[in-house]
Amino acid sequence: MTTVKPILLAEDNPRDAELALAAMEEHHIADKVVVCHDGAEVLDYLYCRGAFKSRECGNPVVVFLDLKMPKVDGIEVLRTIKNDANLKPIPVVMLTSSREERDLAQSYALGANAYVVKPVEFQQFISAVKELGVFWGVLNEPPPEGN
Amino acid sequence: MPPLPEPMPPRLVPDWLRVWGDRAGQFVTWVSQWSIEQRVLAGFGLVFLGILVISVMSYRNTAVVVKNSRLDTSSHELIQLLGSIEEALIAAESGHRRYLVTGDESYLKAYRGLVEQMPEFSRYLQALSGPSGQEERIRELEQLIQQQLDIETEAIRQRSTQGAEAVRHLALPGVAKRELDDIHRLMSELESSAQQATRTRVLQSAGTTRSTIALLALGAMLQFVLLGSVYFLIHHDITNRRRAAAELRRQGELLQAANKELEAFSYSVSHDLRAPLRHIDGYAALLSKTVGEALNDKARRYLQTISDSAKQMGQLIDDLLVFSRMGRQEMLHSTVNLNQLIRTVIHDLRLDLQGKTISWTIGSLPEVPGDPAMLRQVFMNLLTNAVKFTATRPTPSIEIGTTRDSPGEVTVFVRDNGVGFDMQYVNKLFGVFQRLHRNDEFEGTGIGLANVRRIIHRHGGRTWAEGALDQGATFYLSLPLKRTSS
Repeated sequence: MTTVKPILLAEDNPRDAELALAAMEEHHIADKVVVCHDGAEVLDYLYCRGAFKSRECGNPVVVFLDLKMPKVDGIEVLRTIKNDANLKPIPVVMLTSSREERDLAQSYALGANAYVVKPVEFQQFISAVKELGVFWGVLNEPPPEGN
Repeated sequence: MPPLPEPMPPRLVPDWLRVWGDRAGQFVTWVSQWSIEQRVLAGFGLVFLGILVISVMSYRNTAVVVKNSRLDTSSHELIQLLGSIEEALIAAESGHRRYLVTGDESYLKAYRGLVEQMPEFSRYLQALSGPSGQEERIRELEQLIQQQLDIETEAIRQRSTQGAEAVRHLALPGVAKRELDDIHRLMSELESSAQQATRTRVLQSAGTTRSTIALLALGAMLQFVLLGSVYFLIHHDITNRRRAAAELRRQGELLQAANKELEAFSYSVSHDLRAPLRHIDGYAALLSKTVGEALNDKARRYLQTISDSAKQMGQLIDDLLVFSRMGRQEMLHSTVNLNQLIRTVIHDLRLDLQGKTISWTIGSLPEVPGDPAMLRQVFMNLLTNAVKFTATRPTPSIEIGTTRDSPGEVTVFVRDNGVGFDMQYVNKLFGVFQRLHRNDEFEGTGIGLANVRRIIHRHGGRTWAEGALDQGATFYLSLPLKRTSS
């Protein structure tokens, strides 16, 4: 346990990413956050390939996943993670604007660990992201790393 | 230039024909204004009438033929009877003459037989006189026969009492020679007129039989027409039905496509419209935090207004999405206990009440068929409104109960003693984005009651309201107690 495990934030909208980082800043966990801008990048990160070929391999402590992303969307990423025995233990939190029942049902069916609707109000957004970051990134004990 | 002579209408057709032509034209115009059902009915009526007339006429023709044949029989019998009577009369006359000469009583056998038979002959004649139409002649004939018999009787009496001498002058020429000739003449007349009548009747029967055959042919043709029309109509109807069904299916597909589009649209609204609002509010907050103390009050207020507006629009979008979902969402069919539902809603509201004391009066409410989540939304909206609009009252009170139970449905009301509304705006109450209060008086997006109405309509019920400015408001909703499809 020498290295701090990162929080992976998949968010295509740079403003949302910036706001989320600003929220985590308040709890000094922002430096743990790795931001990916589309689903393909998330998969590259998880499988240590492409731009992330040289990174020190290991699963993130949690993945915050937006539903609507270019190239590969959130549902597709979620399906890949939960179908891969190695990636399956990573907690996945859907963080999205969609309140649609269909999205909720599909996410849980695929094995999402939580589903959070981004609040419009900044204060609520900040506290939501903060709490999520603290809970999943600090408080929650991650599953033991498989070999 | 001399005036042109007035053009005269060409008098190729006579006036009466033109008049009738005009009338026929009017009739055609009149008929063309009928609906298809009226035309069909009129056509069938005409054909039926035709068949009826033909049936009646055929029946009457057949009756004539039957009657004629009966008359023929009676004519024939009459002729035969006349022959027998004449024979008997001649035999009696010649027998009595021989008796007058010889006094031998055995010659009176024919005479006595005739006297004995006469009542029977008379009865036959009477019976046959009716149908033959010759009563006059038959009566005359009977009189003559009677006369002859009387004369013969008298002659026989004289012969037996006064002897041969007394009747000698009578015996040779015969006492009733003149009567016998008259009888013979009358009988010939009767016979020939009966034969004449028979001939006429034969001709008549032949005529009516021919016309009956023609009528029956016409009737058969009419029935064919009727059958053909029925076939045509049924065929037409089935084709129309098929076309309507196809059209309906097409419309259904269009509707489904439109619904899918709407779903995609609201999904996009839900997802994409919220993001910029979040950014507006977020960056306003970040700005406020970054600049911090350097902001003066005015700038701080501006930033606050930006945030508030973004939040309000977010709320609006959420409410609209709920409203649109209420229209599309599949309804769950189960039974809802309204008493329990109201209690839960009030419990959930308690957090918002923040210590305000409201006097609740809750009557006994029934169980209704419906979607629990949707009905919960209805009472949530109604009770939130009631709480909101009584907030300014010193002693807010809200009453929930049922009223005017008509068979098959239940009417639930929510009454408050809040600020009420002017009845002239009652029609606006249930519209989308319709508000009767300024936002700084009472907050809201104006979608709650629209949702209430939409949900109640989907349950097959109605909504209405009563109120007066500053005297509270009552919202009514009726729900069917039996399940209706939607």
